[in-house]
Amino acid sequence: MGPRWSPRRGGNLTAEPVIDVRGLTKHYADIKAVDGISFEVEKGQMFALLGPNGAGKTTTVEILEGLRDPTSGEARVLGVDVRKGYRKIRNRVGVLPQDFEPFDRLKPREAVAYWAKLFDRTLTKEEVAGLIRTVGLADRADTLAMNLSGGEKRRLGIAMSLVGKPKLVFLDEPTTGLDPGARRELWGLIRQLKSEGTTILLTTHYLDEAEQLADDVAIMNHGKIVARGSPANLITQFGAGAVIVLAGAGDAGLQAVSQRGVDAELNGSDVWVRVPIASDMRGMLEKLAAIDTPVTEIYTKRASLEDVFLKVVGARMQEGVLAA
Amino acid sequence: MSRILADVSAFGKMYLRSRVGTFFALAFPIILILLFGAIFSSSGSPQVPLYVQNKDCHPDCTPASLAFVEALNNTTLITYQGIPENAIFQDYIRQHSINVALQIPSGFQETLVSAGSGNASAQVHVLLAGDQTQSSYGIAYSAVAGVANGFNLKIANATKVVDVAQTEFAVRHFSYIDLFLPGIIGFTVLTTPLFGMTSICAEYRTRRFFKLLATTKLSKAQWLAGKIVFHIVLLFVSLGLMVLTGIFVFKMQAVLTPMALVLVATGTLEFTSMGMALGIFVRDPETGAAIANAIGFPMMFLAGSFFPVDAMPSFLQTTARFLPLTYVNEGLRATMTFANDATALVDTLITLAFAIVFFIVAARGLSWKSK
Ligand SMILES: Nc1ncnc2c1ncn2[C@@H]1O[C@H](COP(=O)(O)OP(=O)(O)OP(=O)(O)O)[C@@H](O)[C@H]1O
Ligand SMILES: [Mg+2]
Repeated sequence: MGPRWSPRRGGNLTAEPVIDVRGLTKHYADIKAVDGISFEVEKGQMFALLGPNGAGKTTTVEILEGLRDPTSGEARVLGVDVRKGYRKIRNRVGVLPQDFEPFDRLKPREAVAYWAKLFDRTLTKEEVAGLIRTVGLADRADTLAMNLSGGEKRRLGIAMSLVGKPKLVFLDEPTTGLDPGARRELWGLIRQLKSEGTTILLTTHYLDEAEQLADDVAIMNHGKIVARGSPANLITQFGAGAVIVLAGAGDAGLQAVSQRGVDAELNGSDVWVRVPIASDMRGMLEKLAAIDTPVTEIYTKRASLEDVFLKVVGARMQEGVLAA
Repeated sequence: MSRILADVSAFGKMYLRSRVGTFFALAFPIILILLFGAIFSSSGSPQVPLYVQNKDCHPDCTPASLAFVEALNNTTLITYQGIPENAIFQDYIRQHSINVALQIPSGFQETLVSAGSGNASAQVHVLLAGDQTQSSYGIAYSAVAGVANGFNLKIANATKVVDVAQTEFAVRHFSYIDLFLPGIIGFTVLTTPLFGMTSICAEYRTRRFFKLLATTKLSKAQWLAGKIVFHIVLLFVSLGLMVLTGIFVFKMQAVLTPMALVLVATGTLEFTSMGMALGIFVRDPETGAAIANAIGFPMMFLAGSFFPVDAMPSFLQTTARFLPLTYVNEGLRATMTFANDATALVDTLITLAFAIVFFIVAARGLSWKSK
């Protein structure tokens, strides 16, 4: 780790990661909310902190936003120490807090213009309207924020986080509590942000969200990072590979498959056969196709982060809650 | 600077849209002025109803007893109410919940005549009954004693040696409203920013607006400055409404002086900062209201918002010297009512000192970060 510091200190700013965290801890009286984590996020990347409730995601993010002081360790954002240097970078960082609430009695149009002023930017009417259109609030721009739906409030929060044209945006659980349609729309918005070159740190407890959006995922549990890499790498790394699904094969199917010496598991009424090595796929498919057992469908499924999560955390996760 | 202005304008919009704050800042003081003004200003000095039973009637009341009652009525301190001659004095008082009553005994005139003709041992007792702790008793007593004295002198044939010459001791002619209105201005300068800021701090903390603001370039001191600017504008509007009400409804003589404007602005700075300093301890709306009430209510009474501090027992007067609102009230009365800007200036400087302390405590102590 040591040598990587020296060339950066030498002044080559472009090479410095946008976020650089080393041995970061945050201890409370009764809990180590963040317990010695290290990671870095490169410019233009989308980084996801994935973990269940209480994993330490928000604590980590708020330390990086300069809103909480760490107990120990180092955290640098856009080249400054988060403890001392935030004054210099405030207008280059956008923040959507977890459980964001807008000011009740401001309309989105007013809130966006007001917030921009707090970053020393004066937006023209067109710019305000443009930003509101970007987040899909055009026809709600003149409604008091207290009357907006949960998803609309979240979009307003994203618009407010973008008023300063930030280089780096923190999105703490941007889609929690939204319906699937609204989630997908927000994903589109987040992808667009990234395509404009913005570096994004996002927290989530939706595995599919991390898999869909992130270049780089850190799975967090009990204040520690338990796995780290791109979604594809994680899946390969934890050997989940692909799965052949014999839909509707049931108990009889499982028995028939097992008799041929193939490892399989029952998932509902489907029989799953894991294929960790890609080159084995064709052989295994032929083998299974030859088995004479009733199925409704045979298809292959790439393993997902869900499998990785199960493996590294030892439990499945539903809406942020771990289930055995 | 533009951050502060943007914050003032956004905050102002939210404040006016919520209407509750607007009511307490603008309408409530006017209601208080109309209410108290109507109670106290109408008749100049209050008159005490005095119930009189004249027993010196056989059956027609004697001229002397009637003259005594007439003289009482002329004092303008009391209004005459009769008690039937044959009623039992004590019972009648009790049954009719009467505060003060006077009984003129039978033989009143006879005794006077006897005294007038040189009988030195002639004496007659008029009986004044009532609760001696009540101020109405005191007023009735002085009226009765004054009239009795006049009768005594007349019988002794004395000439009037001492008479009270009346003179105005101040530049303006006061009525109740002239003393009361500056107190209500002080009351508003205290309550609007203090109660407003503690509840805002509670809301901003529970709804995490402080944290949200901490992600912008706006500093705590700038945010506080914005609230101060807003409250000063708001209180100037309120002040204008109050003074207009005083002048047009109650013919107030007190004057809105430049010094009064300076003092209102300084006082607003003081109590906005104090509200935010208290916000350090506010965790939720309940504690916010509790803290504001616990500090605001005793202060508004002890600091002389509704009645002057000199009327209070001396230990309370000493307490009042430590209360920031005392100097706002005192200064406002000094400049508006007594045209005494020198005193008002001292009060303004003391207020400014309090204000600076509160501002520093607030800007340093209030944390936007979480632990
Ligand atoms: N101020 C605090 N005092 C004490 N404990 C705290 C404090 N803030 C957070 N914690 C604890 O630290 C742990 C991590 O909290 P954190 O909010 O970072 O979790 P999270 O991963 O964001 O969870 P979620 O998905 O529910 O938002 C939790 O157990 C929480 O109770
Ligand atoms: Mg969280």
